[in-house]
Amino acid sequence: MLERHIQLLATDCAEGEAPAATRDRLKSEFPPGATRRMTTLGLLVGSVLSKLGPGEEDGIVYASAYGESRALEGFLDSFPTPSPTLFQTSIHPSAVQQLLIGRQCPVGEFLPLSGGPLLSFHALRACLLSQRTRVLLCGGEESGTWLLEHGLASERTFAFAAALTLEPGAGSLGRVRLSQSGGTGSLKLERLFEILHAREDFTGMVAPGWQMALHWEGAAK
Amino acid sequence: MAGIPAPINLVACGCITPFGDASATCAALLRGESALRPVPVLGREGGDPVPLALLNGRDLDDTSPPAWLGSLKQLCASIPGEGWGSERRPVFVTSSNFGVGGLYALRRYGDPSFAAWGAPPTCTEQIRLELGWGPDVSIHSHACVSAHLGLLSASRVLQAGLADEALVLSFDFLSPFVAGGFHALKILNSGFPQPFRERANGAIGLGDGAAFAVLSRDRGDWTLAGQTLFNEMHHFTSNRADGTGFQRCLEGTASAARGMKVWFKGHGTGTLEAGRMEVSAALRAFPGAPIVGWKGALGHTLGSCGLVELAIAIEASREGRSPGTHGEGLPAMAGDVAVESFSTASFDGVVCASNAFGGAHAALLLCHA
Repeated sequence: MLERHIQLLATDCAEGEAPAATRDRLKSEFPPGATRRMTTLGLLVGSVLSKLGPGEEDGIVYASAYGESRALEGFLDSFPTPSPTLFQTSIHPSAVQQLLIGRQCPVGEFLPLSGGPLLSFHALRACLLSQRTRVLLCGGEESGTWLLEHGLASERTFAFAAALTLEPGAGSLGRVRLSQSGGTGSLKLERLFEILHAREDFTGMVAPGWQMALHWEGAAK
Repeated sequence: MAGIPAPINLVACGCITPFGDASATCAALLRGESALRPVPVLGREGGDPVPLALLNGRDLDDTSPPAWLGSLKQLCASIPGEGWGSERRPVFVTSSNFGVGGLYALRRYGDPSFAAWGAPPTCTEQIRLELGWGPDVSIHSHACVSAHLGLLSASRVLQAGLADEALVLSFDFLSPFVAGGFHALKILNSGFPQPFRERANGAIGLGDGAAFAVLSRDRGDWTLAGQTLFNEMHHFTSNRADGTGFQRCLEGTASAARGMKVWFKGHGTGTLEAGRMEVSAALRAFPGAPIVGWKGALGHTLGSCGLVELAIAIEASREGRSPGTHGEGLPAMAGDVAVESFSTASFDGVVCASNAFGGAHAALLLCHA
């Protein structure tokens, strides 16, 4: 069995919110001028991740199936004179890098993942196998436009970040466990977000042979 | 240093490049050949000629299904073992590009058949189905250190006893998307790369490449140790000028290599500042180690370079001779840069390093089990 304790949690559901409104809502959380080149996903992930106070000794596991959909769309639309800025911000781990480069905050271990129905399991497994004392699990999606029409972007926009530690400590919000078990199942990233956002207790199969048990401490709900 | 997994064994490792498999690639590098050719940066739409190394017979523009799929399947046919993607034999797919060439074609020419390959999850799912793998296929994408992340993650799953063996597969195939992007950054230009050489202007080349590694706790002729990562988060496309970020990464690998005589296979894309930084950090961490870089002949295989070049390093160690650093007579950045090929017979191992956007660094030590 693999286990970690949830010490901090931040989530942001930007369902139905236009990118300009998201930018307007979150820009005060970043230094003046820093948000000009930030993507919607960068703003959302940066906002929730910054609430955990990331530091050099933390491990960071970042999960996003589609990553920077809008930057990808913009970069592709910039041909035949491709935009260097959109090229560099369209790479998969960009959302986390936008925050940490802005803060000049190095981090030893950073594992960006993509994936389908097993993405939540793979991200949790990466967190629970990390040898770092504190691991920050973060993730999110931003809705696409023409990429979405082809099934190549998320329909939803959201972000989450949770600080996971080996020891429970005082004030722990909850506990997440992965254990091997008979049966099969999966847990999409959107569903993991919903569980975290609602602080919902969950026990169920998240991959073939793997069960996740997520329990919130009553007082912290 | 926190986070360094215990050594893990390599059961098998192979690659494909425009030269062929790992053996053919190592032999071509030893002969001093280059796979880079001038190709219009936007493929059929033209543009400046830039140095690209494409798999034989492949155009820069993608097809649907991708023309590279046959080469990838051929590589995968050489992977020993069965049942990949099952609970005890998980797969770790890594890439920085996945099927992004299809995304470019989809947008430029509107053919919806390209969509199936366009995003990391959809591209990986297509490959999973083609290869008959089970569902346990995780996807790592961290620009040009992606392959190192796959190796590290697979090592951890094995060390925890959660799998019997693990497969890491990495692939990156060029397209106008990626060539156009690096050209826009002005580091991919008409100049050919000459890693670790002093010259007026730096230049990189890009190359097609794919590779695999089968990892195990208890069998295999080779060992991976000292796997380390460090992300300096200084700038999107450059490193700290003082090289401290890369130095931090190499500390863990140097610790694993203490008392050993090693050679150093660097990242060496052909950019000047990064090259100087890398040479300087390597000299500090591994005094006296010969430094080589192969991207002057192969091009930069992007997220897959860590695994493609690991397969070549294994082949070089097996054959007892490492290719030197491809160049055209320009002075090296340091006397330790191995311009010519050299015997690996007296060495205990090789340190393989990669760097990426965001000041991401990765390194590992390869030695005999």
